[in-house]
Amino acid sequence: MILYLARRLLALAGVLLAIAAVTFVIFYVLPTDPAAAACGKTCSAERLADVRAYLGLDRPVWRQFADFLTGIFTGRTLGTGQYAVQCDFPCLGYSYENSLPVWDLLMDRLPVSASLAVGAAALWLLLGLGAGVTAALRKDTATDKALMVGAVAAASLPVYFTSVMLIYGVIRVAGLLPYPTYQAFTDNPLAWAANLLLPWTALALLYAAMYARQSRGSMIEAMAEPYIRTARAKGMPERTVVVKHGLRSGMTPILTIFGMDLGGLLAGAVITESIFGLPGIGRLFYGALVSSDQPVVLGVTLLAAFFIVVANLVVDLLYAVIDPRVRY
Amino acid sequence: MTTTAPGAGGEAAKTPAPAPAQAPGRPPAPAAEDGRAAAATGSSPWQLARRELRRRPAVRVSLGVVLLFVLMAATAPWLGALGGWSPEEFDKSAIDPYLGGQPLGSLGGISPDHWLGVEPVTGRDLFARVVHGAQVSLLIAFAATAIVVVAGTAAGIAAGYFGGRTDTVLSRLMDLTMSFPSLIFMIAMLSVAKDVNRILLMTAVIGVFGWPGVARVVRGQTLSLKHREYVDAARVGGAGSWRILTRDILPGVSGPVIAYTTLLIPGMISTEAALSYLGVGVRPPTPSWGQMIAESVAFYETDPMYFVIPSTFLFLAVLAFTLLGDALRDILDPRGGRS
Amino acid sequence: MTKRTQLALATALVAALALGASGCSDPKKGSAGAGASNPAAANNGKALGGTPVKGGTLTVLSNQDFAHLDPARNWVMPAMDFGTRLLYRTLVTFKAEPGKGGSELVPDLATDLGTPSNGGKTWTFTLKEGVKYEDGSPIKAQDIKYNVERSFAPDLTGGPDYAAQYLAGGEGYKGPLQGQHLDSVKTPDDRTIVFELKRPVAEFSATATLPTFAPVPQSQEKGTQYDARPFSSGPYKIESYDRDKKLVLVRNEHWDPKTDTVRKAYPDKFVVVMGLKGGQIDDRIIAGEGADASAVQYMDMRPESAPKVLPKPEVKARLLAESQGCTEMLYLNNSRAPFNDPKVREAMQYAVDKEAVITAGGGPALNEVATAYLPPALSGGKQADTLKIAPAGDAAKAKELLKAAGKESLKVSLAVSTGDKGKAEAIQQGLSRVGIEVVVDTIDPGAYYDVIGDLSTTPDMTFTGWCPDYPSGSTWIPFVFDGRTIKEKGNQGNNSQFRDEATMKRIDEINAMADAKQANQAWIDLDAEIMKKSPAVPVMLKRKPLLVGPNIAGAYGHPVWTGTIDYGTVGLKDPSKSQG
Repeated sequence: MILYLARRLLALAGVLLAIAAVTFVIFYVLPTDPAAAACGKTCSAERLADVRAYLGLDRPVWRQFADFLTGIFTGRTLGTGQYAVQCDFPCLGYSYENSLPVWDLLMDRLPVSASLAVGAAALWLLLGLGAGVTAALRKDTATDKALMVGAVAAASLPVYFTSVMLIYGVIRVAGLLPYPTYQAFTDNPLAWAANLLLPWTALALLYAAMYARQSRGSMIEAMAEPYIRTARAKGMPERTVVVKHGLRSGMTPILTIFGMDLGGLLAGAVITESIFGLPGIGRLFYGALVSSDQPVVLGVTLLAAFFIVVANLVVDLLYAVIDPRVRY
Repeated sequence: MTTTAPGAGGEAAKTPAPAPAQAPGRPPAPAAEDGRAAAATGSSPWQLARRELRRRPAVRVSLGVVLLFVLMAATAPWLGALGGWSPEEFDKSAIDPYLGGQPLGSLGGISPDHWLGVEPVTGRDLFARVVHGAQVSLLIAFAATAIVVVAGTAAGIAAGYFGGRTDTVLSRLMDLTMSFPSLIFMIAMLSVAKDVNRILLMTAVIGVFGWPGVARVVRGQTLSLKHREYVDAARVGGAGSWRILTRDILPGVSGPVIAYTTLLIPGMISTEAALSYLGVGVRPPTPSWGQMIAESVAFYETDPMYFVIPSTFLFLAVLAFTLLGDALRDILDPRGGRS
Repeated sequence: MTKRTQLALATALVAALALGASGCSDPKKGSAGAGASNPAAANNGKALGGTPVKGGTLTVLSNQDFAHLDPARNWVMPAMDFGTRLLYRTLVTFKAEPGKGGSELVPDLATDLGTPSNGGKTWTFTLKEGVKYEDGSPIKAQDIKYNVERSFAPDLTGGPDYAAQYLAGGEGYKGPLQGQHLDSVKTPDDRTIVFELKRPVAEFSATATLPTFAPVPQSQEKGTQYDARPFSSGPYKIESYDRDKKLVLVRNEHWDPKTDTVRKAYPDKFVVVMGLKGGQIDDRIIAGEGADASAVQYMDMRPESAPKVLPKPEVKARLLAESQGCTEMLYLNNSRAPFNDPKVREAMQYAVDKEAVITAGGGPALNEVATAYLPPALSGGKQADTLKIAPAGDAAKAKELLKAAGKESLKVSLAVSTGDKGKAEAIQQGLSRVGIEVVVDTIDPGAYYDVIGDLSTTPDMTFTGWCPDYPSGSTWIPFVFDGRTIKEKGNQGNNSQFRDEATMKRIDEINAMADAKQANQAWIDLDAEIMKKSPAVPVMLKRKPLLVGPNIAGAYGHPVWTGTIDYGTVGLKDPSKSQG
């Protein structure tokens, strides 16, 4: 087990390194010059050279990458003298826009994105699994058909369409909720939930539809397994059969997808965050792209990849807990 | 059917595809007997599919919608011209410049002159744009799917059949690709690339992140076929690897591949739309559905038809392809995609 | 400057005549040409909502964070207005008045507009007595010198570079962060500051309105992080600043209104909410409920919102649409074929359909046709019209000129920033009438100036605007048409790469004029001369559409600051209705 974990963690580091390298090459080899973007409306050649030197852009790409990598562990300083900005471990560089360490920016936005992703995930699990299991247990009835038609339809609606419709219906016409502005959970849990309710719903509708389809399939398969018949034959109440045996094995495949989806959303809800104006990581990323703020783009990409690989790892470890057949 | 566009595509592209990460230590997906047996014993996947499609009305309807859209995309230049407008032609007389370019007349300017109304501000004909948009959207979706399927099948068969080091390298590459936050990466790559053909670039970028899904299914499939009697027989009979791969293995995996291909397409359409929605997709004046929706979102209240029309087309296309793909999967690969 | 009222009257009259002459106006056609009287410009030249009452919380709704609030780095529009009106004071500033009065210079920290000597090469300012920072310490001349020096530092990017352009001995100077200082700014005592310039600058008083000339005490220096917490010398100080989310300003108790003739500082508190969707900001202010009643918008109203505003008198009454004072132009690349041929360039003046471009930019309610390069504010309130071309262009004349030049069909490239995509399509459509095929390339705003500013990648045509920093031709023509400013990389302003000996000679002559009035007329004459050589096509003049909530009073678009709301005098009708 320990050995397995060590191997996986090593692979994780390797994946992140590869992703960092690819991202770095893409952004630093391309023609946009962040120094010119930062310099101002008019910028003399001499000043441009100074700015390039200040941002470290005058060094060869491989040196910049090496600096970036070592900086993650040892920290870096931007500028010289007493007004230099210090960036401590884990230093992912500085934003060209406002000279703040990228790590600080990411951590500042993470609560928003995490609130969005986790809340939406809870909602879609509830809706999706509920619908999926119900449909599976009533296979081929009208309920099943209605639920599945609804699920296919909901899954075919782009998230920006549902978002706009929710904003229009709930905020503009009915006036039930305020326009979303993020409120920290710790400040006011009620306002936190009220502001996030619509983004949660928009995201959850899409995913719930997927999960309903997926979980219906898994449940039908699980309920057809021989041990379910055995359990029933032993006179176990139907409820126990479904919950203890059916759900347990039926939900195993769901876990894989759930891990990936949640991992992907933590730093990747670009569309939802931008439609609802939530200051999360997705919007940070989009803003950084528009202003050629490459260190921030790189930082978000790495964080997003980190969440995905960690989610995968966690899922694999959880299998050992859920499914006794799995051993490492 | 879960996410391909590995996880991160989620928000934009829920591409139904095989479960990405197989739990280590779990046996590879047990070969589903019925579907594959049928495929191996003569009646081709196509014959099966045809027989089944005739039986189900919902599937017939979605097949009809799909064919209609494909026809629309293929004949866009002629069909679009029927309305009498080119997709890039302005019509100053159809809008009110003093009201922010709001279309004149009700329902977004729907009239005998403009069958689906006009775009606000420019007065461009929506019918012509939707038809040409279909061409761009479907072209990108189909081309990206083709890349994904070809690359995925090739990689999957190679990994499964040759095993050993080839398998290790290819499988690691699949893991790596799937760990990329794909949506974020696609946006980034598209936004930094300048003087390039947007359609080609989008196709390539979407394709790059999609192949491991298919590759995994094909690999699992190949592993189970590899030691079937008829394959062993061919090998003993002195057939070369190439011959075995193309004659024995490829037909065996084609069933699930066809099903997944159909299920990949709606995800690709959504991805194209999402990228264009975020402003990194096709460049104007080229219309695509995603790009049209992106432009129309701001008008959802003042000119709702402008927003509703491209959204409806996108919705119908994704829905029809999903239903068709579901049906094909049930027929050709009743178990494979779920384990 | 602008004789706005007369201009508006004249336009209305012309429109009425046009309508009368054509006999009827078919509303179905919505003809863009004649145009009814502009429904959006009704509020120009007056302050909305009467005089504000002191107190309350004013909310600013924004789709973005401030580019920079550090006075050495603040050079983009709403941020510059916001900073200099609320957080820091400059030596000189513009009067807080709508319409023509707003372009008048008034002393701010200084006692007067500065005293030139040495033929305009030396400028001396004296500071008022009793001006203080937020901690009660006195503002010193040395602090202004220090911030001027900061504008040279390569760490502190983004700010105006007038100091570097004008001050003697600035070459090679890299700012005060490593301890070096600039000898050409002298502070004989705590209240006197003397600037020594390379050449006479007649309008240096106007230059001293830029945030470069605001005080920053060296003890408060935080390098790049000063941006997040500028030390206040104005009526408000920063209570909290959560980047990209929220900025809260509260009163600076040490600001003495007796020393400040400009800022009224009505509200007790300013709250800037950032990162909202543009369209949602419009919707919220139109609805004007709760705290939104006491809100103004930071960036422009979206053109899509016009149908929700213009037909409703109650909402329309809350729309400001002051002229921005910038000219948007189609720059032609003079350095290579086909636009190295003056005849082809002249044909372009007739070929462009400005009317279509204006519709794409939000319609005639929010834009006007440009007929000369210099924005109206720099040419006595009205642009010259030397060529007299109809707004939709003159395709026949353009074809004729192209034929004479032997270029009957052309294929050219046009690069625009993503936001100007619609305008590019309108240009494309217009030029196709005369046989010019245009290939449009849209570039992300972040990369746009890099691409067009790199002479190896710059296309045949670019579309962008230039705004004056203050009402003087010297902040306009030399930036746009002086061939000596062309750079291999990072070329900005002279996107036409227009290199004309006569023009450059004249620019130097006008710059040397000590009389600002004489110089002004000379710029206008030079503008007409350049029009003849046609390095670029002036296309449109934009208005700044801004909505304010029903509880807002004293709001107007400041004519010098591209029509943004004057934050120094805006306030609330009824502070008790605001929510803090």
